[in-house]
Amino acid sequence: MSFMQPSPVKYACSCGILNPINKLFFCRHCPKLRCGFCVCHEIESHFCSNCLENIPSSEARHKKNCCANCFDCPCCQHTLSARAANVPVVRKTEEIKDGESKESPSGAATPPAPGSSKPSAIPTTKKIYYLSCLSCRWTTRDVGIPDQGVASGTWPDNECLYQARFNTLVDYYQSIVLQEKQEKMEFLRRKAPKQHKFPSLTDRTGLTVSLIRRQIGWHDKSIPKTKAISITPAEVTADVGGLPEDIFTEPLNLRNITTIAQRHGQPGDQPTAVSNLYPQRRSLWIKRSLRCRQCEHNLIKPEYHPTSIKYRIQLFASYHVPEVLMVRCEQPLQPGKSNAILLKFSNPTMYDMTIRILSALPPEEELITSEAFQQACKINEEAVTSSPLVRAIGLTLSRQNSTREVKRDVEDVSNAEIVPLESEFVLSQRDDSKEFDEDVQLPTEEPKFIVWRKGNKVLIRLQFTPAADLPPNTDVVMGFFMQYTYVNTVSNASEKKEPTTNALHSRIFINAGATEKAD
Amino acid sequence: MPSENSIKVMPKAVVCEESNLRGDITFSAGCVVHPSATVFAEAGPIIIGENCILEEYTTIAHRLQVGARWDANNILSIGTHNVFEVGCTVEATRIGDKNVFESKCYVGPGVTVPSGCVIGAGIRMHTAQLLPENTIVYGQQALQREAIEKQGSQTLQIDFLRKVLPNYHHLRKPNHDPKKARSVV
Repeated sequence: MSFMQPSPVKYACSCGILNPINKLFFCRHCPKLRCGFCVCHEIESHFCSNCLENIPSSEARHKKNCCANCFDCPCCQHTLSARAANVPVVRKTEEIKDGESKESPSGAATPPAPGSSKPSAIPTTKKIYYLSCLSCRWTTRDVGIPDQGVASGTWPDNECLYQARFNTLVDYYQSIVLQEKQEKMEFLRRKAPKQHKFPSLTDRTGLTVSLIRRQIGWHDKSIPKTKAISITPAEVTADVGGLPEDIFTEPLNLRNITTIAQRHGQPGDQPTAVSNLYPQRRSLWIKRSLRCRQCEHNLIKPEYHPTSIKYRIQLFASYHVPEVLMVRCEQPLQPGKSNAILLKFSNPTMYDMTIRILSALPPEEELITSEAFQQACKINEEAVTSSPLVRAIGLTLSRQNSTREVKRDVEDVSNAEIVPLESEFVLSQRDDSKEFDEDVQLPTEEPKFIVWRKGNKVLIRLQFTPAADLPPNTDVVMGFFMQYTYVNTVSNASEKKEPTTNALHSRIFINAGATEKAD
Repeated sequence: MPSENSIKVMPKAVVCEESNLRGDITFSAGCVVHPSATVFAEAGPIIIGENCILEEYTTIAHRLQVGARWDANNILSIGTHNVFEVGCTVEATRIGDKNVFESKCYVGPGVTVPSGCVIGAGIRMHTAQLLPENTIVYGQQALQREAIEKQGSQTLQIDFLRKVLPNYHHLRKPNHDPKKARSVV
């Protein structure tokens, strides 16, 4: 319904940002909604989007996050493709004789080479390759790069003028980083002396190892400090050279001058002339995994292989949270006039849900239960992470520490008053086979706000009143709390395997459309 | 526009019968016209040079200006070795040699295309202009650049089409022999 359009129904993420449901994730362990803004983004794997080759992260760093085989067009930034061409090669007379001796046993059907008297007349071809862009027809021949005998792998890198200087700068800063790290380690070592199991004698007497060594006359045993590599500093110059003489007299040919995009595509030397464009190695793409910042569980984990688009872990909100669709408003929207909106709820889970629509925050005790559940989850968490193995891994992984969740208030953007439903209603579980059932459901006693019900979908009628002071042509936004029961199948605790049921809340804002002028 | 079509097909040209041809059109030797290509000579005769390829849904039109009438001397001449790819519409005033009109491009009236040009896929040229030689127009923003390398020749493709098309389509018979015509005169 809202394909390729912004959805009118927005869910408030636990970080306070409004998002449509298809951009939200649901952490089963917290259990809360998360969006791309409040999760930890991690690089899962590097790959080239053109040749779909998986490249380990260390290799990717070594290759400066570029693919070794694929090139981008410097002219239009498309991918270059290798074209093959045959070029005639004039062989020397000795080679010709070899060729003839090879040909003669192959069959009598081949006519005798007419040019046996003239050796250069036998055409022999060699396959050569050049790179060509299928979009703008740029080829490596345009800039005079020699054709290669092999299709890939042998293309030379363009070394720009400042490459040597750049490399020394990189070395210099790396050594500075190393030095600073060492100094920090030294500082920490001095600040926090090693705690021994038994207090040593030197601790009491104030004699330290270095003191004793000095008294004996030995030199200090300390690691020689790494010195930063000396480097010629950049010099400031006021002389930038004048403009060429002919710049005011010669007409400018814009076709020989690169565009801004072309210069940025080749950041090393940023050529101004088209003749200096050079094929650029294609940047690698990444697969991303998302992690909840509060409980450090993975929300999204893609499959490792670049050709696969599936996930190993996918906690999208639309798999767990009931989806709300806006169907229509019953009457034209007018400020201060009571109206009703039809909303379609669908249950994506395998368990029945009980849904309540509330206009204000739910009573306290329910909040407490959810908090308690969260606490239980956290405790289980700790039990898992405190195992020595996990701890050892945790040390090697420089993972972002879990932060304490800051409660942020959702900005109330609603400008319409809803009439909360008088009772709760049940959304039955999702059953794909039910879609094909023919038998009509027996009419059951339904609350009167339910308009229609089929399978896991329910259409309800919600009454609301836009604020009386709304000017015409302003969007009417109504906000409400949806309380739904969520059956958590994650069993952290080993003692109870049964899924637990919790009442969760989502704050939902619906943009019902613009107000019309009052008649 | 004369009431009767006068279509001259030189020998060795492959012109499918399902193509849509109107007016005074001359196909030189070696041309390949796919089915459902349209050539529309409204303002004057169209002469298509040797070894041109007109792919499916190509439209080449020589349209009447407002208030103008059929003029036998107002010839739209198309040079040799041009390729009109699928779905292009060309109404240019003059077309040189070795041009490529890529798929779904539109070249409006008043555009003069010299030699060695490539009009990229989906490019729309409405303004009357004279393109410099070896121009390549490409991309969404219709950027222009100059080709240094010559465009590859289409002889292999023409040979292939000349072999394949007669197997599946009815062809117009070559009805105009330049030698014979000269002898008659």
